[in-house]
Amino acid sequence: MQQLIEFFSFTNPNIRWVVLGVVLIGASSAVIGTFAYLRKRALVGDAVSHAILPGICLAFLFSGVKNPLVLLLGATFTGGLSLLAIDYITQQSKIKSDAAIALVLSVFYGVGILLLTAIQNSGNAEQSGLDKFLFGKAAALVFEDVVVFGGFSVVLLGVVWAFFPAFRLISFDMDFARSAGYPVRFLSFLLALLTVVAVAIGMQAVGVVLMSALLITPAAAARYWTHHLRMMLIISAGLGAFSGIMGAFISYTMPQMPTGPWIVAVLSLLAILSVLFGSKKGVLARYFQQKRNQSKILQENILKCFYHLGEFDNSLSASRSILDLQKKRYMPDNQLLKGIKKLLAQGLIQKNGQAYQLTDHGIREGARITKIHRLWEIFLTKHLHLADDHVHEDAEAIEHLITPELEKELEAHLNYPDTDPHQSPIPY
Amino acid sequence: MVQHIDNPVVELHNVTVAYQQKPVLWNIDYTLPEGNLIGIIGPNGSGKTTMIKAMMGLLPLSSGYTKIFGKDLDDVRSRVSYVPQRGSVDWDFPANVLDVVLMGRSKPKNIFKRLTSQDRAIALECLRKVKMENFVKRQISQLSGGQQQRVFLARALAQEADLYLMDEPFVGVDMATEQAIIDLLKEMREKGKTILVVHHDLQTVKDYFDWVVLLNTRLVASGKTEDVFQSELLNETYGGKLNILSQVSNLLKAKGHPVREK
Repeated sequence: MQQLIEFFSFTNPNIRWVVLGVVLIGASSAVIGTFAYLRKRALVGDAVSHAILPGICLAFLFSGVKNPLVLLLGATFTGGLSLLAIDYITQQSKIKSDAAIALVLSVFYGVGILLLTAIQNSGNAEQSGLDKFLFGKAAALVFEDVVVFGGFSVVLLGVVWAFFPAFRLISFDMDFARSAGYPVRFLSFLLALLTVVAVAIGMQAVGVVLMSALLITPAAAARYWTHHLRMMLIISAGLGAFSGIMGAFISYTMPQMPTGPWIVAVLSLLAILSVLFGSKKGVLARYFQQKRNQSKILQENILKCFYHLGEFDNSLSASRSILDLQKKRYMPDNQLLKGIKKLLAQGLIQKNGQAYQLTDHGIREGARITKIHRLWEIFLTKHLHLADDHVHEDAEAIEHLITPELEKELEAHLNYPDTDPHQSPIPY
Repeated sequence: MVQHIDNPVVELHNVTVAYQQKPVLWNIDYTLPEGNLIGIIGPNGSGKTTMIKAMMGLLPLSSGYTKIFGKDLDDVRSRVSYVPQRGSVDWDFPANVLDVVLMGRSKPKNIFKRLTSQDRAIALECLRKVKMENFVKRQISQLSGGQQQRVFLARALAQEADLYLMDEPFVGVDMATEQAIIDLLKEMREKGKTILVVHHDLQTVKDYFDWVVLLNTRLVASGKTEDVFQSELLNETYGGKLNILSQVSNLLKAKGHPVREK
């Protein structure tokens, strides 16, 4: 608790800089990553992050200092080079983009490791800490780092804001954008450059290997919560920033724990939760949707049962016992009772002693479902040329699905027939 | 049979387009009249889509040139609208119907400009024209094929162009939608717009189009529907590729030979 207050009061300047750094880095990577995700270039971020390593080593070799700005310049150079290499290989050879990405990633990373090893064995005292780029050094961010990386993050976010309509357009429909005269080549280049810069600064937090998680995971998670691009960018940035804070907090309370990997761990957890509980096409949302479908099917089948019994003895509002219903159509006791409870609550049926009867509202509903069933049977025999005895099963399912608009269309299309293929009357 | 006209709205001069040096369109040369509904007809793989894309500058030409309104495309882009194939985009993209139609309102001239309420009004009007006004806020992944096509059409209308190039707007579209679209296109023609439609249903060609371009990697015919849409030319169009032409295409690719000497 003590630590919690100490951390989140941000009185300690070290904590303040670390948190500000990871928030800006996390949010900007997530925003850029959202566009990479939507343009189906998720793997490119991985290639870039690996390709940045040789750039950092080269920058250090030439300058001899660990100035973040200089290292960033080197990183951007080889990162950009790797993107050009991927484009060149896919355009000029028969190698497809997945293989090209794998090739470029491994070659650049190999050279990077080679240079890093050489530097480490050179006896240069300045070199210690350079290997931090492999795994990140979020917990060690100091004021100068934050000024540089945070500054770049703010610039990144600003550029995305300014170019938002154009970026959205080329992410959705590149051909249309080009046909309308947009400078698609420039915009693509700009997005690629932003990706490289985002990766170069994001690596400070989580390192080479985990960088693509920081880029892509927030977007993938955010997609489960919204259908709007602006909202997706905001959620994505929020997830990136929140993971950054949590990662920093965990490694603050447990100093032996590394920050970067924890940022990614928190992010992954959030992504899994999003896949499960996301309000748009999450696993749980789909599960509940199916539950609702099942429940609707059950209730409508019970209503239909009442209605058919009423049709048979010409008294739609007569009382029926559980057994009467089960004789007409077998449904297990527990399910039947559950359905009846829901129908009672909606006022579609009412209790009459031990038995139940349809209310006026219930009669209308029962008639509607019966009508759709029979209309659908006619539709199938007429337009899919199915035999009369082949259509019942299909209609059993579809009757629960047809919307009021489709119902009207179906009626008009078939011109209000009187009977179905089995000569049962159609109630209007 | 190729009918040429004066002051054409579109002119293709000896246009050859190649994919990795293999020509898929050979020396296409035609002129198209203004204010017509024009069908581009040909079998699968005959280069219909390639030709439209080449006209929109989306593919490099191996030879020849195109003129639109007598000028280079770049000078008249704001007067030309392109409707890509419905399947060319990912409809799972996070956007709603209005977002997509508004893309037709943003102009590359000022890339940073945000849209105004007038742009929104125009976009909504275009959605009304394609009878999609009840789907304004609908997420695009939840649309049927016909509805997606109408959204693309509305986006093109929002561009307020004079020449429209439409790639297979009737694919995967129900009959009622097809009729609604063709009525709209005819209405646009009455206002003097020129509309090119890539089409493959021969049954409807006579009802839909004033002018027809028959294509099978080479230009078979271009002219008024009543002159061109006849069995002899159709047989030539659908009678398979010319064997010698295919062989030369393959040779060009295999040898890495240029389509033009320089």
